[in-house]
Amino acid sequence: MQNEPLLSVKNLTVDLLTAKSALRPVDGVSYAIRQGQCLAIVGESGSGKTVMNFAPLGLMPTGVTTNLSGSVRFEGQELIGLSEPEVRKLRGKSIGFIFQDPMSALNPVRRIGRQIAEMAELHLNMSPRAAEARALDLVKLVGISDPAARLSQYPHELSGGLRQRIVIAIALAGEPKLLIADEPTTALDVTVQAQILRLLKDLQQRLNMAMVLITHDMGVVAGAADNIVVMYAARAAECGPVDKVLVNPRHPYTRGLINAIPRRDDPIGSEFRGLPGVPPTLGAPIQGCAFAPRCEFAVAACTRARPPMVPTADSNVCVACPVVNQGKAAA
Amino acid sequence: MVHFISKRLQQSLILLFLASVVCFTLVVSAPGNVAVLIAELRGAVATPGYVEQVAEEIGLNKPLLMRYVDWFGDAVSGDFGISYRTGQDVSADLAARMSITGTLIAGSAIIATLLSLALGFLGALWPYKLPDRVSRGLALLGASTPTFFVGALMIYAFSVHFQLLPSFGFSGPETWVLPWLTVAVLPAAVLSRVVRIGLEEAMSSPFVLTAKSKGLSRTAILFRDALPNITPLFINALGTQVGLMTATAIIVEPLFSWQGLGDYFLAGVRFRDFMVVQACLLIFLTFFILVNLIVDLAVLLTDPRIRRQWS
Amino acid sequence: MKNLKPLFARLNKIPRAALITIGLFVALGTFAPWLAPQDPSAQNLLEAGSGPSAAHWLGTDHLGRDTLSRLLIAANTSLVSVGSVLGIAMTIGIAMGTIAGYHRGWVDDVLMRVVDVGLSIPSLIIALAVIGIVGPGYWTMVLALALAWWPMSGRISRAVAVSIMSKPHIEALRVLGASPWRIYFNHLLPGTIGAVMVYATADAGVAALAVATLSFLGLGIQPPTPEWGQMLVDALPYLESDPRQVLLPGLALTAAVIGFNTLGESIALNRIPKPLTRRTLAARRIEVAGWGKESLDAK
Repeated sequence: MQNEPLLSVKNLTVDLLTAKSALRPVDGVSYAIRQGQCLAIVGESGSGKTVMNFAPLGLMPTGVTTNLSGSVRFEGQELIGLSEPEVRKLRGKSIGFIFQDPMSALNPVRRIGRQIAEMAELHLNMSPRAAEARALDLVKLVGISDPAARLSQYPHELSGGLRQRIVIAIALAGEPKLLIADEPTTALDVTVQAQILRLLKDLQQRLNMAMVLITHDMGVVAGAADNIVVMYAARAAECGPVDKVLVNPRHPYTRGLINAIPRRDDPIGSEFRGLPGVPPTLGAPIQGCAFAPRCEFAVAACTRARPPMVPTADSNVCVACPVVNQGKAAA
Repeated sequence: MVHFISKRLQQSLILLFLASVVCFTLVVSAPGNVAVLIAELRGAVATPGYVEQVAEEIGLNKPLLMRYVDWFGDAVSGDFGISYRTGQDVSADLAARMSITGTLIAGSAIIATLLSLALGFLGALWPYKLPDRVSRGLALLGASTPTFFVGALMIYAFSVHFQLLPSFGFSGPETWVLPWLTVAVLPAAVLSRVVRIGLEEAMSSPFVLTAKSKGLSRTAILFRDALPNITPLFINALGTQVGLMTATAIIVEPLFSWQGLGDYFLAGVRFRDFMVVQACLLIFLTFFILVNLIVDLAVLLTDPRIRRQWS
Repeated sequence: MKNLKPLFARLNKIPRAALITIGLFVALGTFAPWLAPQDPSAQNLLEAGSGPSAAHWLGTDHLGRDTLSRLLIAANTSLVSVGSVLGIAMTIGIAMGTIAGYHRGWVDDVLMRVVDVGLSIPSLIIALAVIGIVGPGYWTMVLALALAWWPMSGRISRAVAVSIMSKPHIEALRVLGASPWRIYFNHLLPGTIGAVMVYATADAGVAALAVATLSFLGLGIQPPTPEWGQMLVDALPYLESDPRQVLLPGLALTAAVIGFNTLGESIALNRIPKPLTRRTLAARRIEVAGWGKESLDAK
């Protein structure tokens, strides 16, 4: 094995306490990511993939109290239990964030140049003038035409794709080692999606960053990621290298997901192959395998206890399914 | 930009015209015969013949539209007629009193702005903690205490008890302090809530998540991101409060024996001196329209989204 | 009856302090004529300006009238006049608002423009202008204030009416051929009244202030009927010798207004997410602790 992973998450559980209810959107998930790699986290909306990445870094809205347990190590530093000012030092500087909706992610009444430059001032100790110059470089880096003019514009004067490039420029401004992109293409036009994804992938490789790509789009995963974690109802169902998981999915949920993608050789007018049933709503943790009610292979053992993540015949791929792992769980 | 301003000026002129119609109609529709009032004012016995003569003289017998045109023309050229009660020229009275009320409103507006920003930020910096509770308590108290009671308390505390400041008259800054503070209490309280709630709402919008992800501290986000967002909101609310200060002036000026517009208007209302009521009302309405115009222009300067619509 | 249910649900969310203050004000105001220990207008110049005693718990004013009785009766005066002002203003406002919300189009535009103008002029100035033209008096005051007040409930009821009209079940009723009258009187009006009531209650504090202010200026409630603002202005010349007579009515009025304003504030703050209170937080913690943790990773 090579060096320590950049980010290593072990058995992370997140409980959210709100005025209305308590829920557990992340339940004992583990994964790791090394420098220069891209990890895709795939799951339906509400499967906890965003909370899993944002909660340990203190990016939760007000009105919600977050309880974390397990371990999240970034460059060997444990994040859980860290005070807000200490976590804040990592945000922006070591870890950059890209958000789902570029329409609302930028402050509507501040100039774009300032919104980028303040990152350089904050994390690279630059003077305002040097920071403006850096902002210009960054805007060029993310491939925006007429960069100098853009800096003095306001967000509402730009299109969605341009705004997402600005958000990316902001995320890059602190020269982070890790980029967390939360559905970076979901809110964009289809034609723009591919451009943004290519830009992200290109930047990640050129700057040798690690990237966590949160998405529900299998196409995005195939094009960009090295490894994948498939989430279902707050838990990891399957994880492993993308080429292995996508080509040979083992978990019935992963299989269903990949099977649901329309194929070129589908006859015209044929029905979509969806997954039967609906995902459970988040709340208290589910007894046994969360996918069992929708699973065609389910056996009695599935609902009895929660299936552990177990390496399969290919030791890089782990699956949490008692049927697939038959006979191995005891080992 | 130019387009917006010219359009807004047009609107203001129309409003001004409507305001003048309202003022005129109000007085025309007043019960009782104005000619009788004036006849009595002149000390004469209001014989039907004399009343008729007065009515002819001040143009009461002309058609309504003509009377409006006459009145409006006079008002625009600064002639508001003669007070039914004192027989004095209303315009001269207005001119003398306007600067007094202007001093009152300007001073109070500045105090209210500073006070409300301080209180609002105090609450936003330590939300739901002690400073916030203190700021909210003060705001609630300020918004709930009647202005005349505030004035009475100010006089009692600073003039009677500690004997620090004079309680009446308009003669130099030390006589201005108490009226300023009295008028400023209510708007300061209301505006501090606008600041506090506005900041909190801004702090729960999505771009704050971006700001947090940049590694900015809460305080930095409050000043860099939230403050510019509530500026247009604050200017709007400040405009409303400055408008309301004319009403407060009506209460406070008599309390501190200031001979301002509020005092003048109140006397006009008390003695049903229609010319005075009409003139003051027109001045007040013009003031509201003017304040609204200034507010809109200021919002235009502080909110790039609105500026975009008009460029 | 079913319209009362959401009203009670709303009442439950209101801070207790506001409920107690408002309840006390309403109760004292309603029963003041029976509660007042003495005749509020009985003068006794021999006891003028005396301090608290067994006979006069809160002392007497400059004419020797019992202050406690006057304060209580003043609560009644205030309650009745505020009730009439808001009653009239809300009737006009709800009628205008629901008509605007039902019709939309130019009716809506015209009515709301009138409301905008009405809202931009301070209510005291509107009321004073009316009084200045018509002459002072109890009903002039009530009508003048109602005239100044209706735009507020007009705007709220219009907003509520629009949201009700855009609900699917109204659409369904229309498709099913329900008459406009039935939609208006059975669905739109009751819903709007229920929602506007709470806002109107929150507004009662400001209305009480307006009544007191007009009385303070001598243009509202006329003597000998006691009213807080008028009691205060009566006692003002004796501020130096007997500040109690200024403080008591002022404090009574302030307390009543605080109650209503707390209610208003709690309504205004409803839409902002707040950190959890200690009690809910503890309850949620217990809930989560019950979940336990299954161990997962096979070692």
